[in-house]
Amino acid sequence: MTDGLSQRLDRFARNLLPAFLSVILVLLSAVPFSIPGYGQVAANWALMAVVYWAVYRPELMPNVLAFALGLFLDILVGTPPGLNALLLVLARAAVVTQARVFRGTSFPVLWCGFALVALAAAMLTWLLSSALSLTALTPDPVLYQAGLTVALFPFLVWAQARLHNAVL
Amino acid sequence: MKVRPGSSLRYLAVPLKVLFQRFAFLFLILTAFGLMLLSKAETVMVERVSNAVVDVVSPIMDVLSRPAASVNEAVHRVRELAALHSENERLRRENARLLAWQEAARRLAAQNQALSALLDFKPDPRASYIAARVIGESGGAFVRSMLVNAGKRDGIAKGQAVVTGDGLAGRIAAAGFRSARVLLITDINSRVPVTVESTGARGILAGDNSHQPKLVFLPANATVKIGDRLVTSGFGGVFPPGLPAGHVVADGDSGIRVQPHVPLDSLEFVRVVDYAGVWPQISDEEDAPLGPLRPVRAKRLAP
Repeated sequence: MTDGLSQRLDRFARNLLPAFLSVILVLLSAVPFSIPGYGQVAANWALMAVVYWAVYRPELMPNVLAFALGLFLDILVGTPPGLNALLLVLARAAVVTQARVFRGTSFPVLWCGFALVALAAAMLTWLLSSALSLTALTPDPVLYQAGLTVALFPFLVWAQARLHNAVL
Repeated sequence: MKVRPGSSLRYLAVPLKVLFQRFAFLFLILTAFGLMLLSKAETVMVERVSNAVVDVVSPIMDVLSRPAASVNEAVHRVRELAALHSENERLRRENARLLAWQEAARRLAAQNQALSALLDFKPDPRASYIAARVIGESGGAFVRSMLVNAGKRDGIAKGQAVVTGDGLAGRIAAAGFRSARVLLITDINSRVPVTVESTGARGILAGDNSHQPKLVFLPANATVKIGDRLVTSGFGGVFPPGLPAGHVVADGDSGIRVQPHVPLDSLEFVRVVDYAGVWPQISDEEDAPLGPLRPVRAKRLAP
């Protein structure tokens, strides 16, 4: 049995939720909050979103979407274009290949897994940024950033899970 | 049982899909690396595409940044209210001091005019200002930049100096049609030719992503003291000379550190210097407009 047009449209619209939410999170990453020092250690909301959807609905967070989100973030915040795109595609791949570990486990396990992903992303950011600027940058800001991202992850999971259950 | 045409393809579809996804993954990884290298080579195309994307979302960023700005302003107001009395007292004293300075400035302006006329002095090129609101700040750990809501349509071009009433904030790194990216003086890619005000020694103010950029390439015999003010030297012709950039706060192992005068973390409005128009004239009117938007203590700008 095939669905009616309206049903298919409805499902299509609902399936856009991950993309829509992630774009909003990317935009929010670049909004000026005028908190001294926040800009440098701002949490990586896009990473949280990509990891969340890669765990629970990987088919709605395809590689191309992760790449596009990362590129969009790069352009908005002025990081070298391709840097966050690379990170998000790699993070998605890492989570999807370990989907059996992540899905269905308790939240603390997911949180630990996310902490590993965030730390790896931070180190890769530091390595690539250093290579691109041809200087050894201090890794402190990315480590703070990773710490903040991991600390805020539960809030985002909670919010996204509510929307996820309501819409999808 | 009737076999639907095309169903045999389904056996192929799944492995093909997997293959395609693997290929897409590799392709995206390589594209990301390619983009990073392209941007390192400062390709015009990458810059154009970035500008276009930022232009498209800049109205959204503009709207999003307003509530954040409003909350900040509210917090600021409450703080101000608490310090109203002492602030009033401080302003009274400052006003008295500034009146004396105004007197001195008038006398010097008249003297300067007379002496310039005597010497047949050729004045500096004139500059005009374009006011802009900050709509996006850098979320990167290794980037110090921000987005403003003015672009080529407002007369902004790459390389122009960005200032506030306190002094130099940065320069335009990329200009879109209605938005532009400002590279702050603390960014690792920022290099500003400056002069030490007291001695006239020339150097370069070089950002390194920390809060306090370094003063480098000073002449070997030059000495700087803590507290020395730095102003733009105007070398290179990009920045007008005399914009206050910061003051020396430390001279130690990590080089000569300079504290920028501008609070780069909490900027809401900035002005972009178009170094071809007119300098603002000293005016006796209290709220003499210097740009399309409320200027922040603008009279201090022309030193």
